[in-house]
Amino acid sequence: MMVSARRNERRATLVALLASMLVAAPVLVGIAYAAAASMGIAGAGAGPTSAARLIRVLNDGQTWAGLVWSLSAAAVATVAATAGAIAVAVCFRGGGLSDRMARALAAAPLPLPHLVAAALAVWVLGQSGMLARVAFALGWIAAPSAMPPLIYDRWGVGLVLTMAWKEMAFLSVVATALLSTRTAAAEEAARTLGASEWETFRRVTFPVLWRGLVPAVVAVFIFVVGSYEAAALLAPSSPLALPLLVAERSADPDLARRGDAYVVTLLLLGMGIVAVIVHEWVRARWESLEE
Amino acid sequence: MSARATASPARSLAVVRVALLVALSITTVGPLLLLVATSFSGQWFFPALVPTAWTTAGWQLGPDGARLGRALWTSVVLALATGVLASAIALPLGRAMAGLRGWRRHVTAAAAFLPVATPPLALGTGLQVVLLRLGLGGTAPGVLVAHLVPAIGYLALIFLGTFTLFDRRVEEEARSLGATQTQTWLHITLPLLRPQIAEAMIVGFLISWSQFALTLVAGGGEVRALPLEIFAYVRAGQAQPAAVGALLLVIPPAAAFVVLRWAARRNVASLA
Repeated sequence: MMVSARRNERRATLVALLASMLVAAPVLVGIAYAAAASMGIAGAGAGPTSAARLIRVLNDGQTWAGLVWSLSAAAVATVAATAGAIAVAVCFRGGGLSDRMARALAAAPLPLPHLVAAALAVWVLGQSGMLARVAFALGWIAAPSAMPPLIYDRWGVGLVLTMAWKEMAFLSVVATALLSTRTAAAEEAARTLGASEWETFRRVTFPVLWRGLVPAVVAVFIFVVGSYEAAALLAPSSPLALPLLVAERSADPDLARRGDAYVVTLLLLGMGIVAVIVHEWVRARWESLEE
Repeated sequence: MSARATASPARSLAVVRVALLVALSITTVGPLLLLVATSFSGQWFFPALVPTAWTTAGWQLGPDGARLGRALWTSVVLALATGVLASAIALPLGRAMAGLRGWRRHVTAAAAFLPVATPPLALGTGLQVVLLRLGLGGTAPGVLVAHLVPAIGYLALIFLGTFTLFDRRVEEEARSLGATQTQTWLHITLPLLRPQIAEAMIVGFLISWSQFALTLVAGGGEVRALPLEIFAYVRAGQAQPAAVGALLLVIPPAAAFVVLRWAARRNVASLA
């Protein structure tokens, strides 16, 4: 009886491990295929193994410019979203009407698809968008061309603002939940022991909030890096954000260069894996803190 | 602490609160109004702050608005199928994962999160190869398979959470009273988890519903789900049909969001 129970348990473990690998399989197959295509042994124009494609893409300044651009735009958007979410959660943690209203307003963009957020950005931030019209009505600008470009611009101001706005909703929901469930008792203890309001925030509230928030922040970062539709509607054509570079290369008029898309895909997949590992690691740290 | 020392930080907090509340109102209500106004705008050129002509033409989704009407239908079918199938697959998976401890649990959770976190375009590139081999490239069933990949990963993580909290003694009791494993599932486990299963189906629906890059790559641009048509309209500068499509795309997630928050609050209330 005992032996069979243990065997059953081992079988269940094995099944669970295999099944979860099956869920990840499409990504793993994608990595294998992209790697093979990067080495020239799969995909269009496949031939004997050669590092030519890999070397060409990795020596291409556009690849690195795109990588740096995507990572920095995502980093700025993520930092802004995190700061906004923490501000909302900390300033509006009470039960009053204005607190509840502010939390609901901050969470409202959560169900909005990225595509809709990006479309709105085009209509608000574009050179003849709502912002420009308001500026015109106020007499600040005389024509749409006087409006500083906020979309397709070199720095991706529109993309960063849009992603920060959209992702702040998600992070503020997480932050609010953390504050209401995790910190109250510890804060009370700190106050009883004589800590000032600021000290309590700095040494108790913020550290707990931050630790609990980090997994969500990592997830937001990788979502922003990988978002295609928002970049396609808002990002500049030079440098090309990584997802746009994949699309551009895979539609290259020169058929031999289409395979180059796989090398860039491999970079994106690699970033996804790093994000997953970091996410799981910070989550495990948070869980051990909770126990 | 003297009253004067606390008054100043309290006042600056009040100022910050008012400023934040105003900013949140403008950035949340403003875009929503703009979306609705655009969807009814017949003519709206710079520098008009409101449309100079109004029309309901964009909302006639019948034969005239065939593009959006068809896309809506495609999206609904894809999302419903994704919600149901992904929940059915993820439920046993989440349960199996909840039985694991230590590194095994971390590995499976990471494996389930991988298709969620992978940039959709990169995920699509790998899927496309498989779908083309299976003869599903550029077809609706192919797009469904593509949508299932991140949905199953995400829902498996949701069910992992559900089953971590689930009290298995109820099942053991049923078994000890003579119920078979199937009976226990059908009459005990599934009814108990009905709210969680409904929530998972809604989330699965929404993952498919707002998917863009995967639909584009797996469907080869042939499967015209709602997001693809909206994107095309925005690109073409046709704001009005784009806004109609965008509102259609926003309504189900917004409704789901309200329902899920309400359900969560009711859960908390019933626990307390």
